[in-house]
Amino acid sequence: MALTTVLLKSVSLRGRCFRHDFLHPLIGPLLNDSMSKLYSSYRRPGSQPEKKPAWKSVDLSFKKSFDVLKTQLSLLKKESKEHLIGPGGQPWDEFLLEQTKVVWEFRSQEDLNKWVISSDAEIGGKSEVYLKLGRNDQAALLYGTLNTEVPRDGETKYSGYCGMRAKPLVGSFARRKYYDWSNFNSLYLRVRGDGRPWMVNIYTDPYFSHQKDDLYNYFMFTRGGPYWEEIKIPFSKFFLSSRGRVQDNQHPLWLDKASFLWASAICTLGFTIGDKVDGPFQLEIDFIGLLNDRAHTEEFAYELYEMNPKV
Amino acid sequence: MNPHAKLITTASLILGTTITITSNHWAMAWTGLEINTIAIIPMISKSHHPRAIEATIKYFLVQAAASASILFSSLINAWSTGQWDITQLTNPTSCLLLTAAIAMKLGLVPFHFWFPEVLQGSSLTTALLLSTAMKFPPITILLLTSNSLNPPLLTLMAVASAALGGWTGLNQTQLRKILAFSSISHLGWMTIIIIYAPKLTLLTFLLYTLLTSAIFLSLNTSHTTKLSTLMTSWTKTPMLNATLMLILLSLAGLPPFIGFLPKWLIIQELTKQEMTSTALTLALLSLLSLFFYLRLAYSSSITLPPNSTNQTKHWYTNKNANPLIAILTSLSILLLPLSPLILPTI
Repeated sequence: MALTTVLLKSVSLRGRCFRHDFLHPLIGPLLNDSMSKLYSSYRRPGSQPEKKPAWKSVDLSFKKSFDVLKTQLSLLKKESKEHLIGPGGQPWDEFLLEQTKVVWEFRSQEDLNKWVISSDAEIGGKSEVYLKLGRNDQAALLYGTLNTEVPRDGETKYSGYCGMRAKPLVGSFARRKYYDWSNFNSLYLRVRGDGRPWMVNIYTDPYFSHQKDDLYNYFMFTRGGPYWEEIKIPFSKFFLSSRGRVQDNQHPLWLDKASFLWASAICTLGFTIGDKVDGPFQLEIDFIGLLNDRAHTEEFAYELYEMNPKV
Repeated sequence: MNPHAKLITTASLILGTTITITSNHWAMAWTGLEINTIAIIPMISKSHHPRAIEATIKYFLVQAAASASILFSSLINAWSTGQWDITQLTNPTSCLLLTAAIAMKLGLVPFHFWFPEVLQGSSLTTALLLSTAMKFPPITILLLTSNSLNPPLLTLMAVASAALGGWTGLNQTQLRKILAFSSISHLGWMTIIIIYAPKLTLLTFLLYTLLTSAIFLSLNTSHTTKLSTLMTSWTKTPMLNATLMLILLSLAGLPPFIGFLPKWLIIQELTKQEMTSTALTLALLSLLSLFFYLRLAYSSSITLPPNSTNQTKHWYTNKNANPLIAILTSLSILLLPLSPLILPTI
């Protein structure tokens, strides 16, 4: 770090005319203190360069840190109590005998705060998405408008997606917690859509950083009717994709891994709409749960073929 | 796996183990350990699932670091004494480092964190190999160097292993992880007695191998990897279910079974060495592991769950009956009356 600053200073002393307004792409990110730029020095054209270094956005007051410590210690105490009760905070007989479980329910603003909505506005598109509580606080309403108009930045070819994703569970001291869904084999959703097809994504936090774009996806086709639908999606149907591209090497989704093992466990669930049709969309979700469907015997829905078969 | 690959892997495992257990020079011991490490990698990562790959990487990193530490400790000894003989390790730094390195290889506390995750990421047969065959060369090295190990560190690690193996195994629902923690607590029992009576360590290890092989092979027959699947296994393989319960109680160290023999002899030997408080602590800590063995036996055989009997994946009519299971089960339940044959030799 100090060496690079010395080098740059020597460069500027030697020849002002050589040093333009941009810094050398490798040294620039090091001096700007932005860690993400070390991995990719790409910046979308049209977006402002980040001038504020990372350390400036941290609040270093004593009172705030004391409050944070108190909250974290109380979370830690709660976690230790839950550990004493049984796996995942549930007593053993409940854990062993359960066949259904409601994971996300939408009854109050707090439940809505566990989800994050996003659309292609972050890449310059024109879709809009909003999330609010439905009538009588009985469901969540995800609605908006999909617009497939491509942003004119010279490099985007497709646009038009909206989605919502659950925030990952956070334990005490900002550790990641995971869901243990090993007792179940299907996802159970009670939704009322408008006939548009949605994609359900599951993100499992991987051990290797090159797998951080891996998602397990499957489709959810909604009927438009005034009646609520109960959609069951078995986990054996989820296929693996990375950055949106379906992979050749597929493997089934592993549902386990909880407690202190922080490796490749289920982290979040999300819904995306991107069916290339301009116009408004609406999805009401009552709850998202899990089901152990005893009649479902499939392990994995997809066969793998040998890429280069020996003749 | 490809038959050629399988042959090379299996042969390398046998070669590595043989090289280590027959070596007199530290370099050969290290060679055998490294061959074992590399040879088991394709077996752990066979299914190419990200979880299996992660288990492979974790296993490799830990074992490679431990092998390097073993080599380094022998290097320090060779530098100060001029010889590479395994049985003549005299430099105190070497002894300390060797104790820590073997603990890392075996999975003793505090170097045990990799073990449950590696076992969980591998298939049941590979997990069996990892728990039994891969522990054999390091235990052999411990036996050969038993007079040059560091006693306070070893005792501390052994008691901590028995404690942590019991405590952390309590909230587990995945069978391979439960067996990993049982392995850790058995290793605690094995290492507490190695300085005073190395033959008891060997006896404990052999009986542990017998019992663990019986359990893993029985679980492999019914493809059960988690507790909830074990609960409905009584409909698929009722006889195996009953014998599994008996083997689990044997592993827990309950008297009419062979698992009681090592615990009894170790407590006896510790008492002779004036370490009664250690013996008491170990005996009390083994109650924790008894709790989770009993929970396994309880949920599989003693109680009948109200679940329906349709279990996913179990629609096969040809139950692959491995004759080895019958032999191992009979030995693990009925061998205790033969213990007077062992007593005079210890």
